[in-house]
Amino acid sequence: MRNQRSVKQEFLRKWITGLRRYSCDEKKNMSFLERKKAIKLSADIAMASTRDKTTRWSQALIANASSSGDTLTGSSKNNSSRSRKKMLMMRRRRPKVKSAKKEMSASCIAKRLAEKRTRKLKNLLPGGESIDEGCLVEETLDYIESLRAQIEVMRYLVTASQLIINPYP
Amino acid sequence: MSSGSRSSRQRSHSSRISDDQIIQLVSKLRQLVPEIRNRRSDKVSASKVLQETCNYIKNLHREVDDLSERLGQLLSTIDADSAEAAIIRSLLSN
Repeated sequence: MRNQRSVKQEFLRKWITGLRRYSCDEKKNMSFLERKKAIKLSADIAMASTRDKTTRWSQALIANASSSGDTLTGSSKNNSSRSRKKMLMMRRRRPKVKSAKKEMSASCIAKRLAEKRTRKLKNLLPGGESIDEGCLVEETLDYIESLRAQIEVMRYLVTASQLIINPYP
Repeated sequence: MSSGSRSSRQRSHSSRISDDQIIQLVSKLRQLVPEIRNRRSDKVSASKVLQETCNYIKNLHREVDDLSERLGQLLSTIDADSAEAAIIRSLLSN
């Protein structure tokens, strides 16, 4: 377990840095949706970068962000696997496997259900498509932990901003 | 003889999570989220745990999205530099 407090501080620092790149004049002219996307993207990237390339999901997230033309991190990742990941993403629509075997055992059915849900979980993780099952649980837990920290800091910022706008509620 | 109902391509690596990992996932999840509770502590169905995990992550994503939206509204009404600097300073000092 990382020191959550320092993680949050690092996240906040990086996030604010990222946000600033969007501010100045651009901010006034940004649509609401663009602003929201910028905020979310810089938050995601900031959180991913606190992982310092130690997890797959954070690497994938940053790689995806750079490939979409955004270089908030400053360092452009030269990912040849980037296009491969895109290919894998497109292959996501696998043909439904229909089994006509009615006499499937209960354990077989359970196994299939577990497999189906495992796939679902992989789809939720950044870069989860190409992840191997040995790391899946670890990555998932790390990702969840990071998301929770990210949300806490974001909530904090919401509260702080509200106070700035209306200091005497 | 393959009945053809399974695409062998899918099985390049097994998509089964081991039981140990499920147990690990469950125990960790319960630490993080007390709301995720199992009917019995030892008998846990892998698919149920996976489903709970997926739902939880989806909720987290939704929350990030919602917070980003709110921040989008809030931050636009704040005068850029001075207020942000004040926020940053106060938040970082905690």
